[in-house]
Amino acid sequence: MPLLNDEIRQEVSKILADLPGPVRLVMFTQEFECEYCTETRQLVEEIAELSDRITAEIYDFQADRAKAEELGIDKIPAIAIIGAQDYGVRFYGIPSGYEFASFLHAIQSVAAGKPELSDATLRVVAGIQKPVHIQVFVTPTCPYCPQAVMLAHQLAIASPLIRADMVEAMEFPHLAVKYQVMGVPRTVINETVHIEGAAPESHVVVKLQEALKA
Amino acid sequence: MIGGIPLFATPIYDVVIIGGGPAGATAALYAARARLKTVVIDKGLTAGSAGKAQGIANFPGIPGTISGAELVRRIREQAASFGAEFVNDKVLRVDLSTDPREVWTGGGVYRGKAVIIATGSMGRSRYLPGEERLVGRGVSYCATCDAAFFRGQEVAVVGDNDEAVEEALTLTRFATRVHFLSPTRDLRASPDLAGELTAHPSVVYRPATRVEEILGQDRVEGVRIASAEGTEVLPVAGVFLYLQGNVPITDFLEGQLPLGEGGCLLVDENFQTAVPGVFAVGDVLCRHLKQAVVAAAEGAIAAMAADRYLRGRPQLRPDWSK
Repeated sequence: MPLLNDEIRQEVSKILADLPGPVRLVMFTQEFECEYCTETRQLVEEIAELSDRITAEIYDFQADRAKAEELGIDKIPAIAIIGAQDYGVRFYGIPSGYEFASFLHAIQSVAAGKPELSDATLRVVAGIQKPVHIQVFVTPTCPYCPQAVMLAHQLAIASPLIRADMVEAMEFPHLAVKYQVMGVPRTVINETVHIEGAAPESHVVVKLQEALKA
Repeated sequence: MIGGIPLFATPIYDVVIIGGGPAGATAALYAARARLKTVVIDKGLTAGSAGKAQGIANFPGIPGTISGAELVRRIREQAASFGAEFVNDKVLRVDLSTDPREVWTGGGVYRGKAVIIATGSMGRSRYLPGEERLVGRGVSYCATCDAAFFRGQEVAVVGDNDEAVEEALTLTRFATRVHFLSPTRDLRASPDLAGELTAHPSVVYRPATRVEEILGQDRVEGVRIASAEGTEVLPVAGVFLYLQGNVPITDFLEGQLPLGEGGCLLVDENFQTAVPGVFAVGDVLCRHLKQAVVAAAEGAIAAMAADRYLRGRPQLRPDWSK
């Protein structure tokens, strides 16, 4: 039974019709698939069918340990979206509900390889000297969350030093506890700085600079 | 769960109207009658100040008293009869720099060649004591987003409109008990919803109750409430706020339009903002006379100006011959 019905397949095909470059969806699961691993894998495979420019690569988190380490994957289900290069765009947990929009947007953005950010933001990002890790905690029922996820992924595309993860809080309860997530979206930058809610780009950049000073 | 994504599928509208009160609904009536493809996005019949009004006795052509909600319902019905679409949703953000413009809601992105902003002035102006400190630490504005974090715990919902009631009902699926704290004596929600709430076994309904403070340092530990029965502390882990105030609702614009003092919108004589093709009407405007008939008239003017904008006629030229 497919996850995407005919109507959604048609819409998604339209969205993915003119991808400017190839995209690899590198997905990690395991032999005895975790909760939502099956659905996440299926989603990746179904999306790859909808465009000639998208390929699905399925790896086993245990058996393909080296591959996971190479891509910095530390939990499953995981999807690394890779274009002409690996920009550090990741999804942990199934990108369903409202996050399906973030997922499609990430595919489009990675294919283009050009961040949709203001000149002011790009200037700040160009000056970054240290690695930055952005984690955006979400739930699939949160309409405000994709904005935060998309922005984090754009920042990742803009700089080789930035990597950005969507983390579905319900699937990783230990991380929700560790990062004290009681509301979403909650963005954690380099373990130290956090942002509550979907903040405008300019505010996120201020917080990014704050994290770099810490 | 894959779904809720008509996201990129919505057609391109001629006019997307944000807010369906007297201003927005009248703009829709005029736009739809001018055969413009029109959609109105609104949070519900009782979300705005007109919808809240008990009785309006001075709306021309309507003798006697009519409730604000009934007046708005009739204008909407009239607009719908000319083909205007109405969508019950919340606008999250807009992008006025794209062509067509994008209006992002919970259910998808609506694209419009012209946009009319009619969001009114019932935005909140101040925080409750403790609220700002505890946002994301138990204070939330979205039960749909965050309810699952409060599984097996007690929570409070503060508000009195449809949105507050719907969100409280969402919370009953997760929380052991939901204290519904209504600042007013009567709910401003539709009778069906209100009935479902007050009859729910895990809801404690407390009308005419004010929240004095949200308690807790690193996370919410309780709320101090005051009512005719006195003051007490409810031990809750989450507080979900759906309060309204009296400031123009313009935060969703994120600085894309210049604002006047207090966050109101500035427009020219055709109710056009600094961005061509983007109009604003009603109580969201600066120095606005808060009357339904004034808002409605502005909606009509803006819709006609939008029509001219879309047909490439820069000047507003009323046809006096008709």
